[in-house]
Amino acid sequence: MDGCCGPGYASPAEAIKAPKEKLLYTIAIYTGTGIQKPDYLATVDVDPQSPTYSKVIHRLEMPGIGDELHHMGWNACSSCHGDSKMSRKYLLVPGVRSNNIYVVDTASDPRAPKIHKVVDGSEIKKKTNLSGPHTVHCLGSEIIISFLGDARGEAPGGYLHLNKDFEIVGRWENSMGDIPFSYDFWYQPRHNVMVSSEWAAPNTFMPGFDLEEVGHLKYGRRLHVWDFKKKEPVQTMYLGEDGLIPLEVKFMHNPDSSHGFCGAALSANVIHFWKSKDGKWEWEKIIDVENEPHPDWPIPVPGVMSAILVSMDDKYLYINNWLHGDMRQYDISDPHKPKLTGQVWMGGLLGKAPEVNGVKIAGGPQMYQLSLDGKRMYVTTSLFSTWDNQFYPEIRKQGGAMIMIDCDVENGGMKINKDFIVDFGKEPNGPSRCHESRYPGGDCTSDIWL
Amino acid sequence: MTKITISNRNNSAFEVTGKKPLLNELRDQGVDLPYGCQYGGCITCAAKLINGEVDQRSQVALNNRQINDGYIILCVAKAKTDCTIEIGVESHDKLYRNPFLDPLEPHELKPDIASKKKEKK
Repeated sequence: MDGCCGPGYASPAEAIKAPKEKLLYTIAIYTGTGIQKPDYLATVDVDPQSPTYSKVIHRLEMPGIGDELHHMGWNACSSCHGDSKMSRKYLLVPGVRSNNIYVVDTASDPRAPKIHKVVDGSEIKKKTNLSGPHTVHCLGSEIIISFLGDARGEAPGGYLHLNKDFEIVGRWENSMGDIPFSYDFWYQPRHNVMVSSEWAAPNTFMPGFDLEEVGHLKYGRRLHVWDFKKKEPVQTMYLGEDGLIPLEVKFMHNPDSSHGFCGAALSANVIHFWKSKDGKWEWEKIIDVENEPHPDWPIPVPGVMSAILVSMDDKYLYINNWLHGDMRQYDISDPHKPKLTGQVWMGGLLGKAPEVNGVKIAGGPQMYQLSLDGKRMYVTTSLFSTWDNQFYPEIRKQGGAMIMIDCDVENGGMKINKDFIVDFGKEPNGPSRCHESRYPGGDCTSDIWL
Repeated sequence: MTKITISNRNNSAFEVTGKKPLLNELRDQGVDLPYGCQYGGCITCAAKLINGEVDQRSQVALNNRQINDGYIILCVAKAKTDCTIEIGVESHDKLYRNPFLDPLEPHELKPDIASKKKEKK
């Protein structure tokens, strides 16, 4: 990083050249596990030269119980690279159930982050009528966070706007249009576009998954294209049965690209979208993970593709199948025709890899974060407390795990690293469940270029 | 005042007013209880009602099967009579089910979308 500038990197190509990550942060939950302790932000040592490599070296407990920490995001990213007054110092960590947003100072002591400020959940409800926070992105020096519901947990929710001092500005969007549900979003400023996806109302997904509610249209099946400057939706892509429960949205990192992807969790499909020559947004299904037979199931098991990730060089797309238990790598040099180049197994219901590096895995590959150079992927196994409890009840006693995959960026390919595993079943307060991870120096799901 | 007995805490008993949700009334008296959203939407504080009656009309988390299995949402449920409850994850044996292996009948969905139950002969 050159000293004259703000946070992040001048371009994706510069980001790839950044020093290797030595620490990462992952959230770990006790909410819904039966252990009456606060959720926490765990610092994991990922420096192979360190004596505490592959261990949790610090735990920052939240002030109370019941948050369900889930996703998080930085106060600043490469979208602020030109602003020398900004720095990537604070991690914003929302509690899906409590509505609180914890602003964590990771810069004063990166190994032992501390709480800088709490944006109180009830204040957010009072001022903006929002609950169920999910995705955090910064836009320049401002911050927007998607919320899945109103203060009573009803869809569609909206977007909270915080300023750089983490004060509530109000609602970010000017209109939700006819959007029925919210979830994830990503924006690509050079195309003046944001794309958002649909999970469900907090009152629907928080208590657990009732399959029948999909048929009752309580879960999403659309993507929404926004005019980013006008802050309003302009086009809906109805995905139908191909796009049941469309969750994570990722654009290519190249700021000139209009190509992006979404993983439809229940359909276990990857949807590719792009801007056509006449300026309309188009979509197609490019990956379709078949349901797999299971001896005890009356119907084949769907993959449940709960996350997707694009490598910083835009060459590889990674997907997970939480119920099957596999992680896959696709070469997306031609985004219309992805080529499967790697696959590994961990946990899952199909019994392909019940144990990894000596640790029994409860759950399946779920959230993952990729190093900027694309070579190391850190994967965790818990999805959401109530959904974990339905599909992988043994996770209560076994806890979650973090596994590392070595990714071949030259020829494609994935391999589970034999020297790394963090067993969250052995945490001091009892088995906890780890979820999303971030690196202090930026990662493949944080940075956007203006 | 009504009496709340917690069957899986050595039948310890607490007097409550019935004017506030049981989560608040019991926590105020030192009972360690899980909770999340605190508006009846997220199921984290679910407990099982063994006997007695509560008013939990504002809960929106439970489907009819869970309600029929006796689950109550402590962050909104108010005691109407003396009650015996079971708390914490020990009471959650029937709360979570694999939705593919054990589907709900149309009358077992959440009250806002459930169809009327067919009477069994």
